[in-house]
Amino acid sequence: MKKWNTLNLLVAAVTAAALMTFAPLPGVSQEKGGKGGKGKGGRGGDPYGPYYAAPVIKGEPVGRTPDGQPDMQGFWTPRFNQAIFEVQNHPTPQRGIGPGKGAIVDPADGLIPYKPEAAAKAKELMSKNIYLEPEAHCFVSGVPHAAYQQFGYQIVQPAGYVLFLTEYAHTYRAVPTDGRPHISPNVKLFRGDSVGKWEGGTLVIDTTNQNGKTWFDMAGNFTTPAIHVVERITPVDTNNIDYEAVVEDPAIYTRPWKIAGQLGRHPDKDMELMEFACVEGNQDLVHYTEGVGGTAKEVKK
Amino acid sequence: MRYSAAVMFLFVAGVPLAAQSYKAPRTADGHPDLQGIWQVMNTAAVNLEDHIATLDMPAGRSVIVDPPDGKIPYTPAAAQQQKENYKNRVKADPLNMCYIPGVPRVMYLPFPMQIVQTPKYVVMASEFAHSLRRIYMDGSKHPDVALFWIGDSRGHWDGDTLVVDVANNLPDTWFDRSGNFHSDALHIVERITRTEPDLLTYQATLEDPKVFTRPWTMQMLLYRHREPNLKLLEYECNVYLEDAAKESR
Repeated sequence: MKKWNTLNLLVAAVTAAALMTFAPLPGVSQEKGGKGGKGKGGRGGDPYGPYYAAPVIKGEPVGRTPDGQPDMQGFWTPRFNQAIFEVQNHPTPQRGIGPGKGAIVDPADGLIPYKPEAAAKAKELMSKNIYLEPEAHCFVSGVPHAAYQQFGYQIVQPAGYVLFLTEYAHTYRAVPTDGRPHISPNVKLFRGDSVGKWEGGTLVIDTTNQNGKTWFDMAGNFTTPAIHVVERITPVDTNNIDYEAVVEDPAIYTRPWKIAGQLGRHPDKDMELMEFACVEGNQDLVHYTEGVGGTAKEVKK
Repeated sequence: MRYSAAVMFLFVAGVPLAAQSYKAPRTADGHPDLQGIWQVMNTAAVNLEDHIATLDMPAGRSVIVDPPDGKIPYTPAAAQQQKENYKNRVKADPLNMCYIPGVPRVMYLPFPMQIVQTPKYVVMASEFAHSLRRIYMDGSKHPDVALFWIGDSRGHWDGDTLVVDVANNLPDTWFDRSGNFHSDALHIVERITRTEPDLLTYQATLEDPKVFTRPWTMQMLLYRHREPNLKLLEYECNVYLEDAAKESR
């Protein structure tokens, strides 16, 4: 980011993971703000904070890249309610996660249609093993979690690809749009294997090969290697992108379910992503002590 | 870079780029197309200098083309530090902690690396720990307030060569497994040229007055992966580190 300030440097340095976990919800006043409580750090209203969502501002008609793709290039902030904390509706506060809405639009109750044993496992993870939260360990997010990533992301579209460059963990997601097939199902990856194609003005991304080691959020909503995700990403105008994803996994869900949200272009025209060096200074695990339901003694160093 | 004309001449004279007659195909905005998945076939990640084999580490020849002896021109104190680093390399190599490798090391790790280009950016994505380099091609300047593990890269085209100025480097990265190192004063100029359809010539000149007595230059080739439908996979280093720690408990 070009608008350098203390928060950016703090974030870029070492404490961002802690900030990410315990900063208050966007728009929610909360005293127990942890590292994010100082100044404006971590609040949803700070355009350079982790949970900033750009306001809806009507843009110009969508342009084209040199190879004819609808042009989505730039810096985007996710508008997915509080899905980053918990992907499903979560009316009851728990574990530092305040009450809020998720991003599930189908089923209509906004809840993940778990099979009973899977629901029990998710509850168990949330209540007893929250120190397992993958991002607290600096693991890269899976799909669709990567779409509502903290700090947002940059989209670049070289010929034949759509790339999502994320500030979190300073990483990337590369989606080829040249019609190549999925890799062998024997190879499982944190990010999975994504192949994309443009259907008119919509980018459709099919993602398989995830390794089942990622969560949808910070709330124990886990995945398995059987997960299959189809995302539909539609630029509406130069400032707004519609996003939806259908998630299926017959191992743990009774039916497919769908999340929806929007991406808003970051208002800073000179925006640059910073380096969120996660592994290099991870302070997050030590915050999952008994006090917030973790098991501190399980945490090394 | 702030070299005298004589030093610049040495670089040009001493390091001729191969196959200058080849003209690389262009991207839509008219620049040489460097896109693809690339990887070195050398042992620079083990040791930039000439080295014999050690356990699990192949022997290899120096990639340093200037000075002509193929050795990093350390100050005496820095040479001593490098020896210490070498002795402690199993524990002290930042890559063993899965830290971001930094430039130039990320360029010659034994992992495939994908280059993509848009008019505003050249993006280099390594399979090692999902490492990302963004090279700004918009004429912007280095920021003046922060250091980064991967440094800050701003590039421009010099004819058919991508020239990248890398500053803002944290002092915590190494150049290789053998403890070759630098300080926060490191400044790098890379020159990357597609010299044949499936070859990139990679050249990096490094200066760091706190550690080196003079600027020095490495040069190597990156080879295009030509396997059909190839994609980068993952090497999520920190995950395997955690797994290993759990197993050893």
